[in-house]
Amino acid sequence: MKRNVSIQNLLIHLILIIYCIVVLAPLIIVLSGSLRHVGNNQNFLNLFTQFSLESYQVAFQRMNFWQAFLNSVMTTGGSLIIIVIIGSAAAYPISRIKSKLSRFLYYFFIAGLVIPAQMTIIPVTQMISTLNIPNTRFTPMLMFITCSLPFTTFLYTGFLKGVPVEVEEAAYIDGANLCKRFFNIVFPLLKPATVSVIITQGIWIWNDYFFPMVFVSKTKQYSLPVALLQFLGDKENPAQWTVLFAACILCALPLIILFGIFQKQFVNGVAAGAVKG
Amino acid sequence: MKKKNQTKSLTMPKKMFWFSTPAVIMYTIFWIFPVFQLLRYSFTNFNGVNQNYDFIGLKNYMALLKDGTLQSVLPNTLIYTIVMVVGSNVLALVLALLLNSKIKGKGIYRTGVYLPTLFSAIVIGFIWTYVYMPGDGMIASIMNSIGLDGDKFNILANFNTALYAIIAVDIWKQVGTTMIIYLAGLQTIDTSLLEASQIDGCTGWQMIRHVKLPLISATITINVVLSVINGLKAYDYAFIMTNGGPGKSTNTLMFAIYKLAFNEQMMGKSAALSMIAFVLIITITIGMLIFMNKREVEL
Repeated sequence: MKRNVSIQNLLIHLILIIYCIVVLAPLIIVLSGSLRHVGNNQNFLNLFTQFSLESYQVAFQRMNFWQAFLNSVMTTGGSLIIIVIIGSAAAYPISRIKSKLSRFLYYFFIAGLVIPAQMTIIPVTQMISTLNIPNTRFTPMLMFITCSLPFTTFLYTGFLKGVPVEVEEAAYIDGANLCKRFFNIVFPLLKPATVSVIITQGIWIWNDYFFPMVFVSKTKQYSLPVALLQFLGDKENPAQWTVLFAACILCALPLIILFGIFQKQFVNGVAAGAVKG
Repeated sequence: MKKKNQTKSLTMPKKMFWFSTPAVIMYTIFWIFPVFQLLRYSFTNFNGVNQNYDFIGLKNYMALLKDGTLQSVLPNTLIYTIVMVVGSNVLALVLALLLNSKIKGKGIYRTGVYLPTLFSAIVIGFIWTYVYMPGDGMIASIMNSIGLDGDKFNILANFNTALYAIIAVDIWKQVGTTMIIYLAGLQTIDTSLLEASQIDGCTGWQMIRHVKLPLISATITINVVLSVINGLKAYDYAFIMTNGGPGKSTNTLMFAIYKLAFNEQMMGKSAALSMIAFVLIITITIGMLIFMNKREVEL
């Protein structure tokens, strides 16, 4: 019996190791290639033959890394703060009051989950030009927030049901008004939902290139993924691959570092988002 | 409790609905209103610049049929969705079942499986363009080193394989998220149920088929619906890796909508295709939900 179990475990290890090697191989090759001198495109399968930051230097300058990184941080951070505040606030009455209006609002927001962004982009660009909203690095935030609202509201509504009404009744007797009650008492209790929203929405907003590509016109205001989009012409030119690889790593690095630090929150956040929702 | 809320409630007054207004306003302006605007555009010859456009009735819809756009886009999108749903869910479920056993180093494997989901579609598009490149690419190089002719390997330029090549990329990215959700579902299973089935003499496979899967049927529904929506929205890799080609072989719904609007300046036609996509996505999603809810009970 015991031997059976150990053979079974060995098999599981073997399958998982093979899977991980196959899946991570492209990433490892890209990492090793990015550490080569610019133009060294001899067989990339020979891993880590050189250690040079030359490709990174070139990529760093061509992407205008710090500027793009800062733009990404500002738009992602700003969007997340607004999403968390208005999303949780929107879910509050929907879960607390049982009426036709709240049920309507619930389905109203859920319906948005199935609308793809590529579809709304034509009317939205038209509207943004008629409303005279300028095309800056902050314009995509409008769409980041809007696209995230269905999921965020949905998730908070689910989590709010787990917050006992008695907590609020006590606060009501103590004379706290609605705003105080929500932001000081209820909102802190929703921390798992907030973490989940920040992780799931943060990952797609940080990685999204579609809205910034359509709305941002000045190179200086590009976010990281759009800065990377400038390399599109290089992808078929093997001589530039080391630079392209370095740019890819630079673009992915911030999220990977965050994942390294907050691994537990990432995994729980993604799971909570789906299970509660 | 219910009765108290239906009558006038002191703790939960109606004015609470003001909390929803900022979200409702934004959502209506930028998400709901555009859909109605699209419906209007779909009956016009609007080109995105000239505001003096005419209403041309159903001509846009007819044109989509006549020039074969629908005939290529719909099968592509449906194949994409089906392969993606089956591929990513089966793979993720197997991985989750393996990772849910009592083995050492689970965390490392989980990280390995999850890592690709952190990358932006652009980065992934670039990396996989290299992987698929004929001659110097990763797969071609591996073929060369084991004595096959890697120069002949050109999966992205082949009519029959290009679509499956980009679906594989999407599955590679999505499996991590799907796996995490399955793992969370599996971890909610009460261990006493598993012990009971073991005492009753369940073999490994029987345990999975008749105990574990039925118990996570809600998770399966969520994952399947999420990947159906993702599949129908497929856009990224057609845009970055193949530009819809070769021919129209990787032209998916969302990519065709984008291309009509931004490359060919045919906003009216693009809007008509959007409306078709919208109806299709809603029908399939609702159909799926009804079907899966029935299955959940049966399992």
